[in-house]
Amino acid sequence: MEGQASSVWTIEEGEVRKPGIVHVVMLALFTGIGIVVGTFGSLAVPIGFVSAFWPGQAVQSIGSIWYGWWGGIAAGLFPLISNSLSGSAPLPVSIAYLPANILQGMVAGWAFRRWKADPSLKDGRDWGIWILWGSLVPNAIGAAWGSTMLVAFGLITQAAQLTTFLGWFIGNTIPTIVLGSLVLKYVSPLVVRSKAFCKGYWA
Amino acid sequence: MSIAIRIKDLEWKYENTTEFALRGVNLEIEEGSFLGIVGANEHGKTSLVMAINGLIPQSYNGIYRGDVQVFGKSVRETDAVELASQVGLVFADPEAQFTAMTVEEELVFGLENLGLGLAEIRERLEWAAEVTMISELLDKSPYDVSGGQKQRVAIACVLAMNPPIIIMDEPTSMIDPLGKGLIFDILRKLKEAGDHTLIVIEHNVERLVPLADQMLLMWQGNIAKLAPTRQFFEDPSFLIERGVLTPEVSEFAEWLRLEGYLEEGTPLPLNLEDGVEITRQVLEARRARA
Amino acid sequence: MIATATTGVNAAPARVPKARKTLLGHVPIESPLYQFHPVTRLIMFIFFGVIPLFIYLPEVNFLLLWVNMGIMRWGRVNINELRKYMPVIFTVAFFMFIVVVLAPGEDPSYTPLDVGPITIYYQPVFFAFAAYWRLIAMLFGTILYFSTNRERDMLVAMRSLRLPFIASYVVGLSIRSAGMFLEDFRTIREAEQARGLDTKAMRLRDQVKLYMMYLVPLFSIALRRADEISNALFARGYTLTGRVGGGGKRADYIRAQYKLRTRDWVLIVSMGLIFVATAIVQMRFGVFSIEYSPLNIYLKQLLGIPG
Repeated sequence: MEGQASSVWTIEEGEVRKPGIVHVVMLALFTGIGIVVGTFGSLAVPIGFVSAFWPGQAVQSIGSIWYGWWGGIAAGLFPLISNSLSGSAPLPVSIAYLPANILQGMVAGWAFRRWKADPSLKDGRDWGIWILWGSLVPNAIGAAWGSTMLVAFGLITQAAQLTTFLGWFIGNTIPTIVLGSLVLKYVSPLVVRSKAFCKGYWA
Repeated sequence: MSIAIRIKDLEWKYENTTEFALRGVNLEIEEGSFLGIVGANEHGKTSLVMAINGLIPQSYNGIYRGDVQVFGKSVRETDAVELASQVGLVFADPEAQFTAMTVEEELVFGLENLGLGLAEIRERLEWAAEVTMISELLDKSPYDVSGGQKQRVAIACVLAMNPPIIIMDEPTSMIDPLGKGLIFDILRKLKEAGDHTLIVIEHNVERLVPLADQMLLMWQGNIAKLAPTRQFFEDPSFLIERGVLTPEVSEFAEWLRLEGYLEEGTPLPLNLEDGVEITRQVLEARRARA
Repeated sequence: MIATATTGVNAAPARVPKARKTLLGHVPIESPLYQFHPVTRLIMFIFFGVIPLFIYLPEVNFLLLWVNMGIMRWGRVNINELRKYMPVIFTVAFFMFIVVVLAPGEDPSYTPLDVGPITIYYQPVFFAFAAYWRLIAMLFGTILYFSTNRERDMLVAMRSLRLPFIASYVVGLSIRSAGMFLEDFRTIREAEQARGLDTKAMRLRDQVKLYMMYLVPLFSIALRRADEISNALFARGYTLTGRVGGGGKRADYIRAQYKLRTRDWVLIVSMGLIFVATAIVQMRFGVFSIEYSPLNIYLKQLLGIPG
């Protein structure tokens, strides 16, 4: 199990990996995918600025698993645009979400590299790491930070924060698990063979 | 004539594949010549031209042996900016090469990378747009124009950078007959101007043949045949066995020869004008005999 | 001889399109707003997006919303296009009010009001009302921007603000790739429909499953595209470091076509002054605080709520 999983992340002897144009392009393409998924997720199930049932989180976690920090940057960048397009959050609020968006994106990428989990979710251990570190923890971070920002901006009352947190956390975790699992399972085998795949954080 | 491109013992295998895409290719291309490349799919044509413009090995992972030199300098040791100023590559799928929001931005992107000033950028932009007949498209998205226009935009991008070597990889594979004609018109103008070394991969040999000085057949990752154009088509069965169609006019003349209407040793026609001339001679000979 | 034919039917006058499709929606083909430099329009976007943060009075935010709408009308934006934002606008309201009804918080100063079988509290409900109009005012600032600016305008504005070329390039390519992603999605769907798939007849669960399955080919196409675009960038001489030939500075041809004029400076300075004045009067004197809302004062009087 460990041997198979580690082969995805292990850098072979003599293998040179360095950031290239393809990573910048992938950053842009992933941001574009995030814009579409984030915008239409919000428009299709418009629960407003708390972004409940927001499938964008799945894109954020997947991005950092496949492309390390490039995915992390995309995770921070695309909600700025998708929130504006869907009307689910104004610019200052979106900017305030930025640190949490990067963090909630990067957690999954860090955990998969830290514990050498296979992005193709080949066994129970991979699934466990994905559900905990790719779905539950990032959404808890996002919901906590996001609801705090809404209070800070005076858009909800302190008393409403817990309700908002729970709605946000539960509503985002479900699409993250459903969408993310499917994409990881079926697309990862292609991605790990592509030149943009990052075994490390930048290449 | 000096040598523009020198390829020595080139071998290349892409990452995650089992077979070598290029297997010991040796080739020299003279400056100012027009080389046509033909061959069945997956036999190394595109890999060969990507090795000339440095995409292989600079943008791909894999095993690389041998050397490719452009104007005496190895492409492995030349950076993207310098390579782009020497070798322009037009890809088969025009959409795959667009990087900007409008045709105008698409054209100036490469020129900005070359470090040119605003006045020169404007001059080259206008010239390339005029040569490729896309001046009225500058404000449009490169995605919102027709297939033929897209490919002309792609060619304009390369022309504007004015590299001494221009490579086109199946530039007409995705466009209609009228669009194909316009692309070959541009190629004809470029050949007549004589300022560039031109390399064109094309399945449509009918149109390529009148322009090419030399033809090259890629087969199983190596050069199966390299010869001046007329000589290249002298043994049609050799080409047909390797998945290359000869010009229809040549096939017709070959049939005339097999049927005994045409003398052995008569050079096969490669274009319509030559074909008409040969047919006229055959008919006159028959009339004289009658 | 070439035969010609006439139908005898007069051709309808050609319709002149009023809007241009962008990757993010539609913008008018001609608009008085275009006389302003893209950077001015970007600053206007920031101005309208941020200024409601200092304003708690629903009346003023409502006014700001109308100012935004007025600019859109003047800028020849098709107001009908705004209908697509209605679901979000209504559900935001629904969500905000449901939260304060269900979780009003505990505060002895809150005034309970019986509305049928449920008890609501005036203060959190009015707070939600005020917060809602702040949010909508900010959102309309965003809508104004995306309804009057093309992708090119955004890039020019970013480059004018001296953002590194690679940053503006990534933003541009992201927006474009969003369009390509949608186009690919449409192609896959059309291919399925051509093979007889009727999604309308499917159960919701199966539809969701189907949409999920679209993602696999969509991601695969994106992977291939990343290779193609990076090859195209290399072939055009683009390097990761952004180094240009000759080692000099990159000439920005597109940006050079735009010039900041007097009217731009007047507008930028005016917006700056209004912004600073609003921030100061709110932070020092609380002029835009919720307790000064005429509506709040009127309702309190009506309901007999003290203070």
